[in-house]
Amino acid sequence: MTNEEIKHFYEVLRATDLKKIETLVKAYIEKKVPPIIILNEGLIGGMGIIGQEFKASKIWVPEVLLAARNMHRGIEILKPELLKEKVPSKGRFVIGTVKGDIHDIGKNLVTMMMTGAGYHVIDLGIDVPKERFLETIGKERPDIVGLSALLTTTMLEMKEVVRIIRETFSEPPKIIVGGAPVTQKFSEEIEADGYGEDAVRAVELADQLLMSKGRI
Amino acid sequence: MIMKPNFERLKKAFSHEEPDRLPLAEALVAYEIQSQFLGKTVTDSDVKSQVEFWGQAGYDFIPITVGMMSPGEITKESSIFGVVQKVLKKDKDTEEVVPWDIEEKGVISNPEEYERFPWDEAARLNFNKFYEVQPFLPKGMKIIACSGKIFTLAWMLMGFQNFCLSLYLQEELIASVFQKVGEIQIQGAQQLLKIPNIGGLWVVDDLSYGSGPMVDPKFLRKYVFPWYEELASICNQRGLIFLLHSDGNIWPMMDDFISIGFDAIHPIDPTCMDINEVKEKVGKKLGILGNIHTDLLATGTPEEVCELTKKRIREIGPGGGYALGSGNSVPNWAQFENYQAMRETVLKYGSYPIKV
Repeated sequence: MTNEEIKHFYEVLRATDLKKIETLVKAYIEKKVPPIIILNEGLIGGMGIIGQEFKASKIWVPEVLLAARNMHRGIEILKPELLKEKVPSKGRFVIGTVKGDIHDIGKNLVTMMMTGAGYHVIDLGIDVPKERFLETIGKERPDIVGLSALLTTTMLEMKEVVRIIRETFSEPPKIIVGGAPVTQKFSEEIEADGYGEDAVRAVELADQLLMSKGRI
Repeated sequence: MIMKPNFERLKKAFSHEEPDRLPLAEALVAYEIQSQFLGKTVTDSDVKSQVEFWGQAGYDFIPITVGMMSPGEITKESSIFGVVQKVLKKDKDTEEVVPWDIEEKGVISNPEEYERFPWDEAARLNFNKFYEVQPFLPKGMKIIACSGKIFTLAWMLMGFQNFCLSLYLQEELIASVFQKVGEIQIQGAQQLLKIPNIGGLWVVDDLSYGSGPMVDPKFLRKYVFPWYEELASICNQRGLIFLLHSDGNIWPMMDDFISIGFDAIHPIDPTCMDINEVKEKVGKKLGILGNIHTDLLATGTPEEVCELTKKRIREIGPGGGYALGSGNSVPNWAQFENYQAMRETVLKYGSYPIKV
């Protein structure tokens, strides 16, 4: 896709009218553009510009949520075409808010952005005990696990979850952490693989970690 | 040491003069901490013990909430909690607390739910505590009324995700919710003009994340700040000091806070704001409260707390304009020894002129 086309996707992702993204994606399907191109260059490319604007504080959470809503609709339209071509997801990502914590707005934003970025996301929800993380990792074999916490007290649970994942699996998934009280320093202390300051950086981090695994 | 509250200390500090010592300030100290300080159990209904705590601990005021919601998490003590439970339980036969989905849809997700919401009941605010406290107030101590939240309550009623999308997809609903919430909170503040011993109004309303404002500041300027201006006007009528609490990075709105007329801002979130930079850039126009990291109060040592407190006294104290306290609140998971270290360091080293 040309830069102008990607910019057009970006503008439509920023729109309030859902019909615009529906019309745009359908138009590209009718033009026989490969669905993987529509996804990676159009939708993800457009979301990428939005992510950079969010990082630069040119837009805020509501604008990102609006775009994520449009992105979700775009992917819904595209999904049958992706399934026909058996387009694989970029990676598998399990996410949950650690036990004792019910805050999940940050987690929901990461879930939306990771889905938008092409990951298959398994969202375990809130107040997730470590046993459930272990069970899901065993069953789903994700590439990356994301842990979220909003309270200083539940950061300690995060440490425990990281420890037990590493202890249980000989080839554990990459583990990234995030949430308001979490810091880079804390993530290093608990030996997580990375710290996502916000949803946009979480996606960038996930891509970097998969790249280091030679997966993308 | 016998403490003598003196609210003039705080007023002088926020007039950018040096009082006798650096004031202490908090919007919220958990009852568990208050209980440990006094050596007896302090509860929400025990107003006498609460006054005893705030006075003996070295504060010049007692914070009391006016409005629909107390600072901190949603609690059963907040008047809005009961109203929301009635809405959530409407078609349910249960005594159990029904979870309030503040993250996604809230209780007002569309115009119909807005119309059905019992606003009249939500507007019935309780001022009992302001009157109950009067006989116990020692000479020199005032009440600072913590104003119920406006921005926060609007998005909590609507659910944050729904609120965010509604800014673009249902802006009329946004306007209506803010109008109702703002009116109720203003009504609460106006009642204060009739109550003796009110020294200030503290708007407690988180506007930002660590990365910056939760929403485009243009929406705050349209829907929130006009209410703050009205509160500022109420404060001016009575000569009350006017304070703002917001977590997060609030730099993009700093000029707004100055023109609205806040006397001081709290807590200068230590996770994302540099208090020295704030002092340097706006310290002559805006006072500062707070900044000792709550995380340090929870996980640090008394020595670490003491050192940081001394640093703040030394670097931010001179010239007035500063009242020291936590970087958010003193929760029940703070270590009591650390809270004491912060408080006692101020009392020991905070006399003017600062020499630490």
